[in-house]
Amino acid sequence: MLYDIRLKLRYDYDAAAGGGRHQVRVLPPTVSGVQRVIAASLSFAPAPSERSDFSDFFGNNVTSIAFRDVHDALDIRMSARVAVSRPEPGLDVSPDIRRLREELDAVRSLSPDTPHHFLAASDHAGIDAAITAYARSSAGNSAVSTAMDLCNRIYRDFTYDGEATTVQTRASDAFDLKRGVCQDFSHIMIAGLRGLGVPAGYVSGFLRTIPPRGKPRLEGADAMHAWVKVWCGRDTGWQEFDPTNGMRASNDHITVGHGRDYSDVAPIVGVLKTTGGQVGEQAVDVIPVVLEKA
Amino acid sequence: MAKGNHKKIRGRSHNLLEHYQPIDGVVDEMVDASGNPRPVWKDFIEALEELGPEKLAQRFARADQYLRDAGVYYRVYDKAGANEREWPLAHVPLLIEDQEWAAISAGLVQRAELFEETIADIYGPNRLVEKGILPPGLIAASPEYLRPVVGTRPASGHFLHFCAFELGRGPDGRWWVLGDRTQAPSGAGFALENRVATTRALSDIYGEMHVHRLAGFFRRFRDALNGMAKVSGGRVAILTPGPLNETYYEHAYIARYLGIMLLEGEDLTVSGGRLMVRTVSGLMPVSVLWRRLDAAFADPLELRPESQIGTPGLVEAIRMGAVSAVNALGSGLMETRAMSAFLPKISRELRNEGLLLPSVATWWCGRDADRDHVLANLDRMVIGPALSTRLAFEDDDSTRLGSALVAGERAELIARIERDGGGFVGQEAVTLSTTPVYVGGWLEPRPAALRVYLARTAEGWTVMPGGFARVGFSLDPTAIAMQRGGQAADVWVVSDRPVERETLLPQEHDTFTRTLPGSLPSRAAENLTWLGRYIERSEDTVRILRAYHVRLAEASDPDMPLLADIRDYLEPFGIDVETAIPPGLIGTLDSAVYSAGQIRDRFSPDGWLALKDLSKTIHQFATTVAPGDDATRAMTVILRKLAGFSGLLHENMYRFTGWRFLEIGRRLERGIQIARTLARLTRAAAPDGALDMMLEIGDSVMTHRRQYPVQAGRRTVIDLLVLDPLNPRSILFQLERLKAEIALLPAVGGEGHMSPAAKEILQLNTAIAIKEPSDMTAPALADLANEIGGLYNSLAKSYFG
Repeated sequence: MLYDIRLKLRYDYDAAAGGGRHQVRVLPPTVSGVQRVIAASLSFAPAPSERSDFSDFFGNNVTSIAFRDVHDALDIRMSARVAVSRPEPGLDVSPDIRRLREELDAVRSLSPDTPHHFLAASDHAGIDAAITAYARSSAGNSAVSTAMDLCNRIYRDFTYDGEATTVQTRASDAFDLKRGVCQDFSHIMIAGLRGLGVPAGYVSGFLRTIPPRGKPRLEGADAMHAWVKVWCGRDTGWQEFDPTNGMRASNDHITVGHGRDYSDVAPIVGVLKTTGGQVGEQAVDVIPVVLEKA
Repeated sequence: MAKGNHKKIRGRSHNLLEHYQPIDGVVDEMVDASGNPRPVWKDFIEALEELGPEKLAQRFARADQYLRDAGVYYRVYDKAGANEREWPLAHVPLLIEDQEWAAISAGLVQRAELFEETIADIYGPNRLVEKGILPPGLIAASPEYLRPVVGTRPASGHFLHFCAFELGRGPDGRWWVLGDRTQAPSGAGFALENRVATTRALSDIYGEMHVHRLAGFFRRFRDALNGMAKVSGGRVAILTPGPLNETYYEHAYIARYLGIMLLEGEDLTVSGGRLMVRTVSGLMPVSVLWRRLDAAFADPLELRPESQIGTPGLVEAIRMGAVSAVNALGSGLMETRAMSAFLPKISRELRNEGLLLPSVATWWCGRDADRDHVLANLDRMVIGPALSTRLAFEDDDSTRLGSALVAGERAELIARIERDGGGFVGQEAVTLSTTPVYVGGWLEPRPAALRVYLARTAEGWTVMPGGFARVGFSLDPTAIAMQRGGQAADVWVVSDRPVERETLLPQEHDTFTRTLPGSLPSRAAENLTWLGRYIERSEDTVRILRAYHVRLAEASDPDMPLLADIRDYLEPFGIDVETAIPPGLIGTLDSAVYSAGQIRDRFSPDGWLALKDLSKTIHQFATTVAPGDDATRAMTVILRKLAGFSGLLHENMYRFTGWRFLEIGRRLERGIQIARTLARLTRAAAPDGALDMMLEIGDSVMTHRRQYPVQAGRRTVIDLLVLDPLNPRSILFQLERLKAEIALLPAVGGEGHMSPAAKEILQLNTAIAIKEPSDMTAPALADLANEIGGLYNSLAKSYFG
């Protein structure tokens, strides 16, 4: 699938912010075997006094910006054309958890995509006895079936509720609430898998929403999304699951970032010197592109 | 056991060793297995015995007095919160013979080099992981493995520049490494203070024994830091988490001792990829940062986002090679307890040699064979978290002695290790050697651990010949942590030949350079200004209160108009005269202490002591003093102490930019206070006696009597307290001083241009200089107070932003 993606983030500050430095992670990368970025751009208003672009440890695109002058709002616009083409899942040959552990021990590397980075507890997705116990009833004959089952159970057992949690909410709190949004469901699934000894990470990105039959696509109505990647052994490698929708990641899932949890891929981090609060808005459009035949 | 035999041989009047009973099976530093003093201790003990108990007690009291005078403290955290504690010096130093020291040094230099190579591999090519020597899961799980700096080569070429190692001597007489400090080792400054205090007590003995000096170590490291900075053309700074840190005293002390800027995260900013310090002369580059805060807190953008003490963008500046961190961010990884389990193999692999000084035997339960060994030998083990960076004996919450577990705990721990082996390490339980402490006239053995410091210089690692010993409060070897009542002792490395006497002062042949002027950090300038303001505000308040209480004591009617007027005047400033020592006044002085506490590196120990004494006095008075006569006397005492403090600053502080801000703060506040009080007491409706009281508050009664052959009238009071340029209490005098000092501040907006504050003070000064007493009506005086106050805002905008 080919998409044109537009993202608009806006922050309004109660009191003018003096200076400030941010890191922005919103530009989709090319992910081998999953997606290819054809064009992408990122702009800011007001224009920052400093800007630099780099790749972080996990290979995410980071734009670092700094403002010297006082400003009372920040506008971020990203647009990109991305082609997504995920392979069809093949026959499940992934090992069970005990064998997965042996295969994991045999990976002698710390390169960013090795599973070792995704096994230990992290800030938002800490290993938690209650979540591990919940996940244990999904443990099956293979890593893939374990992950798929856990993904489906979270989809069934938890209620989508945009008001129940915040971006700071940790897996254990959302688990107790039994509600939350894509970020929370992903953290719960990650925490559960890690508790079982299965490496799991956080994927942030966009999801194309398909409007109801006969209705037009609403502008700006799409949203940023998050799902889970799971290491399913030496041969099967990383597989992605979406517990918010109870499905594997599809060609409607466009990746922006990978990390251990939300804090590795937060779209914007930064410190503002302001006395007041701030209000954020976001608008996302994921528009399928149909190329006219010549 | 033949211990105690020497008693009969040595027939001294006071035998210090009479009650000395080392523990069976434990090495004692002072006496050998037969109870006889080791050679290096012999002369030392004899010298102590010759002094006798009375003199010794006096001597040791002298050391304690020094530490109190110098204001040495550390912070302890307990249920009651964080408190400053006096430094617990164990007066008897630990003596080590210099040949033994040479072996320790060689072992530690080897260790530092091995650590450098290991850390460079972990953040670089990762060959140790690839070869199966280091488990990747262990590193990936460590909070000290900092992904944002993976792949970054330090600008200085090295990760480690300053390390400390914790050593203990085992029952076989060999030294073991108990713990490694590679993050931001503390205590080197305390080692210096221990030395100063101990030699205060034992100067003659110290002089006669050939004890290696410490100053050279610090001089070499300072030169190394300056050398690193010179290459990149920036400054050296020490980065502290701030005054609430447990070892802030030491940060300030080292900064003062070495003449290095002491900064907090908010003093720094990143601009154009460079790390800059905000100073009163604008942004200045910093290229070497000796950090005393843990790496995870150094940059909220890329490390712990909740950190309030970091500098956004610091990690990016480090990745760009614009600044060298001492030690590099991520170096704390080497403190991980499980790391010790891999060191012997790493040493073989990287350097093809064994460890000269072994670590305490350590097993990481993430490996099956290690786990089985730990479980089979649980009673000989200390079990703790694999990723902990705390020393086993400092970490009693999560670290357990296998033999001390009761049945249920034991089973639970075994189950946890079987479930999550990678989370645990077992370490052989060590018995520390004992060293003497002086208790009630006798020496008694106490367990001790030794902390030794190493610094990197252009010529390689240098070892501090000495260090600091932590000595147990009781015979319990876990009781040596300072947070739990342990003591600290000096360490004397003793030679049988004369040693080089070193100082920090430049030697004849050294070339000297003046440090660049004008690098006063903005935050320090702001704190100095406020210190000046708070001190002056306290003084002005105390003067008014004294004038009030004198009259109250004599008045038949406490509601007489003048007293009531003063009550009403002070009330909006939070000063309630009903209380002899109003909480508002105490608050002002506490604020002065707080401001001074933020800049202790710029403050002489005498000044600090004077201020602490002032604060102690006023807090004491608050509970004892009654209004009226009693309060009058109390105010006089406080005034005298305030004058003492101001005098210290005025007479002893070098006239550098920092002093100017302090002076500006004082003059500003005095101008404001005098103008405000005058506006009140010289207004048309002022009660009887107000003018006399004003003269008294303005400390100008005698001058007035001499200058004006008439009774105090509104005109003469205004003339003397507003317009007389020779009266140090007049407003014009404050304005003249302000004009002079502001003109000498660093240029703003280009050389030769007047700063906004300079323009304002020039206008104000000129306007007042040409006034007549009749112009200075009460409303005019109130406006003047506001205008002087406005100067602060201009200064803040130009210099503290």
